[in-house]
Amino acid sequence: MIQEFQFSASDFEKDEPKELMLLSIISQSFFQPFSIEDNLLVILTALTSGSGVGFNRAMLFRASGEILRGELWLGPKSAEEANSIWEVLSTPGIGYIEIIEHNRALLRREADSLNKRIKALAYSLDREPLSIPALPAAKREVVWVKGAWAEPLVDKSFLNILNVDEFLCVPLFSGDEILGEVILDNAITRRPIEHKDVKLASLCGLMAGNYMYSTTLQKKVVEMERMAALGEMAMFVMHQLRNPLAAIGGFTDQLLDSTNDAVRTRRNLDIIRKEIKRLEDVLFKLSPFLKMDLRKPISFELPPVVQAVLQSTNIQLKREGIQIDVEVENGLPEILGDPTYFGEALRNLLDNALEATPRGGRVSLRAGRGEKNGVVLSIQDTGPGLPEAIKEKIFEPFLSTKEKSMGVGLFYVKRVMDACGGRIEVESEPGKGTLFRLFFRSRDERRENG
Amino acid sequence: MKKLLIVEDEEALCLLYKEELSREGYDVTTAHDAEQALEMLGREHFDLIITDIRMPGRDGVELITEIMGLRKDVPIIINTAYQSYREDFMTWAADAYVVKSSSLDELKAKIKELMSR
Repeated sequence: MIQEFQFSASDFEKDEPKELMLLSIISQSFFQPFSIEDNLLVILTALTSGSGVGFNRAMLFRASGEILRGELWLGPKSAEEANSIWEVLSTPGIGYIEIIEHNRALLRREADSLNKRIKALAYSLDREPLSIPALPAAKREVVWVKGAWAEPLVDKSFLNILNVDEFLCVPLFSGDEILGEVILDNAITRRPIEHKDVKLASLCGLMAGNYMYSTTLQKKVVEMERMAALGEMAMFVMHQLRNPLAAIGGFTDQLLDSTNDAVRTRRNLDIIRKEIKRLEDVLFKLSPFLKMDLRKPISFELPPVVQAVLQSTNIQLKREGIQIDVEVENGLPEILGDPTYFGEALRNLLDNALEATPRGGRVSLRAGRGEKNGVVLSIQDTGPGLPEAIKEKIFEPFLSTKEKSMGVGLFYVKRVMDACGGRIEVESEPGKGTLFRLFFRSRDERRENG
Repeated sequence: MKKLLIVEDEEALCLLYKEELSREGYDVTTAHDAEQALEMLGREHFDLIITDIRMPGRDGVELITEIMGLRKDVPIIINTAYQSYREDFMTWAADAYVVKSSSLDELKAKIKELMSR
């Protein structure tokens, strides 16, 4: 026999160990789409909510470079309030979003008083002698302070704000990376900190540190990818502009400094005109990167857009000698997307298909029902197909198998499909042509999901 | 008359270079890709090669590598739209690196310099 159930923090009953629920809330926060600040706050809330587990208050420091800065303080103002937060957290059916909203409200309340003073705190992490709170973060060690007023290592301006005799410092780190520190105390109940509290807080600190680290890593990767893409784009633009400019400059100089006959003058002007057109094309081809406004998808009918693209001059010019088969299923549901961008995307795909297909070949366009009430549009050509190495990178920008092309067409198509919640797939084998399949979500699917 | 070989896939630039450098008193031959250039190099002697880098088929860097393999003692000028190929150490084998621009002055000066050595 098997028993299946879906687990969430709200499944905990009030009499279950609160440590379990605490860990559950914290581990959930790693997978929530909220900001790192919101998720950290949830961790702090979990650490401070309830007298049964942990602490009354939590103060968060974040490290940036070699400086540890006070960021925020979270905690109830009284024992009653501490219990009421716990009530909120353990209300059956409460969602993560409610906890986040609750936290934001708490923070707004405290924004002008305590947090302002905390934000003024900053400690060097590499300048000796290290005081508390810098020491635990710098050494990546949990420090439990008792008899704080008599302890010379504790920074007094920090202690004046904290105003307790006992507290716990939990560093937030991952490997060698110091990310911050959490200070925990029982300022309201005055309950002494116990060993089990220290263990639990240390575990939470480890989890939070790793969570913060993975978030910063993720940000770095995204940034690096963006920079790499930008660099590639700049390279490409440079090349695309320099060649025509070299030609325009050279032929203009010829016009300026020699005695030209009418034929030569005319020839040079023709070349210059052509190169200017090329410059213009570069700008035109770059425009998808600038103008794409990824609005909310609307629902529209596919067949009229397909017809309009097939009728467009550009396609009409290129289809000479190539047969285009169109097969559109009757009564297709309306699809979600932006008809203008989709039209442009389809024009790009057809353009490619027609260019790849030799005279006498065939391009087939089929639209039919797909998964989950969606619509699938496929475009098949009888061209040479794609080499394996290129197939993998086909949707990356600036990759082109055509000498004079910028290689942004398919990247654009992918962006359009991503924006409407659909997707694009490619199948291709050398010698057997290429098949693109566009999967659209339909309005009907949306309705089913409520 | 010094013989120059220009390897360039852009038609308009081939024409421009041929006219302008002929006017400077050189005997100019153009090749549209690395293959064609190597074929010409096998047939005749050139005093200087000017090559683009990004070209269909084998690129300019591969061309330079091939020429080095042929042990032909011929000066090479790289003429490309990209600055970044300077980072490819194979391009250091060339005698000069001229980025394409709207004026041919720098290229002409480099040719003159290399031809008077």
